Amino acid sequence: MRMLGVLLRKELLATFGSPIGYTVAAVFLLVLGYTFSLTLFATKVANLIYIFHQMYVLTILLVPALTMRAFAEERRNDTLELLLTAPVGEIWIVLAKFLAVYGLVLAMYCGGFVYVGVLEAYGAPDWGPMASGYLALACNAALIVAIGLLMSSLTENQVVAAALTLGTSLMLWFADSVAYLLPPPLDSVVLNLSLIGHFRPMVTGSVFVSDIGYFVSGALLALFLTTRRLAER
Amino acid sequence: MALAAVDLEINRGEVFGLLGPNGSGKTTFIRLLSGYLLPTSGRLEICGCDAVEQSLQARRQIGYVPEAAPVYGYMRVREFITFMARLRGMNGQAVPDAVDRVIAALALESVANKPTRTLSRGFRQRTAIAQALVHDPALLILDEPVNGLDPRQIIEIRALIRGLAGRHTVLMSSHVLGEVARTADRVGILLDGHLRGVRAMADTPDLEEWFLSLA
Repeated sequence: MRMLGVLLRKELLATFGSPIGYTVAAVFLLVLGYTFSLTLFATKVANLIYIFHQMYVLTILLVPALTMRAFAEERRNDTLELLLTAPVGEIWIVLAKFLAVYGLVLAMYCGGFVYVGVLEAYGAPDWGPMASGYLALACNAALIVAIGLLMSSLTENQVVAAALTLGTSLMLWFADSVAYLLPPPLDSVVLNLSLIGHFRPMVTGSVFVSDIGYFVSGALLALFLTTRRLAER
Repeated sequence: MALAAVDLEINRGEVFGLLGPNGSGKTTFIRLLSGYLLPTSGRLEICGCDAVEQSLQARRQIGYVPEAAPVYGYMRVREFITFMARLRGMNGQAVPDAVDRVIAALALESVANKPTRTLSRGFRQRTAIAQALVHDPALLILDEPVNGLDPRQIIEIRALIRGLAGRHTVLMSSHVLGEVARTADRVGILLDGHLRGVRAMADTPDLEEWFLSLA
């Protein structure tokens, strides 16, 4: 665990020592503010469902920019040799990178608490769906960040890593549309891979263990594969 | 296969030079020893630890400077060396003490608080060596340690490596015959992934002639 702290500190230094983190956070909050103002004035309804969907889309679009450098940059700069020849297990290297990016994404989500405050001040929001909405976002972000790390571990080109992450996330997002074109039992398998299929119930207030399990198991699988990729050198 | 028939034992405290042309397998051999690559067959032992079965214990014995002398550009020199010390399991007061020791030993005082991305090639090489020495490893592995350095820096690094002999075992690779001749106690010649010969420098009056006879 001590090694995780050492590596996490270094990852946070890398994240906040580069303009990428600040830029992504600024774009995220700017677009969110714009959408919130627009939907609030248009619908005059005190809920955040539109905002949660906006955050879901922004997560898929922006997280690749945060994860692309994780391993690709280390590989390109040869610093991965320093990490992998130090007496530290690959799992700690992967976890530190995951926690650094995931922490930044969660911090960006916290910026959305302002809107919760606005709704509370001027309306009577239903707190249940808001809590489950944030839970859905946290679960979704864990999966997308883990996929991003896996893709970054496969290449030393950051743009390729970002494109692979975006492509994989979009394919998972639209898996339910593809499922309708497939014969049984393949259709139900692909349907269950759908990102939006597991996100939508949670964001509207219906929390199922199966949905949380989808995100958590997907994230763990991606982190496991990233660790294996590093261990194989 | 990048490496075949390499049967080599390096003695404690000696400076061993691995000599060979580009593409001969020197970096592959060094990456195998450092634990960055895993062997498909054969056996590697570092200070009594199997490099594959007891990988973490073996890596604790090693200080490694890759050919590119990589550093984290967003860290300052002292910060980088401190990070590497902690990564190698050091903690408490031992860390700043060891960092001060290597900064002094490698004459890095003037750049200790500068970002590593601003360093000249010579200071960058010294910083890379400092991170490899900070935990006082039994084996120091240097891949092409004088590549890209100017003559003055080469002399300084050479003197530094010679100064480490006895206290540390040093394995250095190079494709420059003169460099190995001036620095190493023993030399091995690697050609096309095969270790063609090992000799003590004291028994090798003309390294160039010996190299050409094997090549």
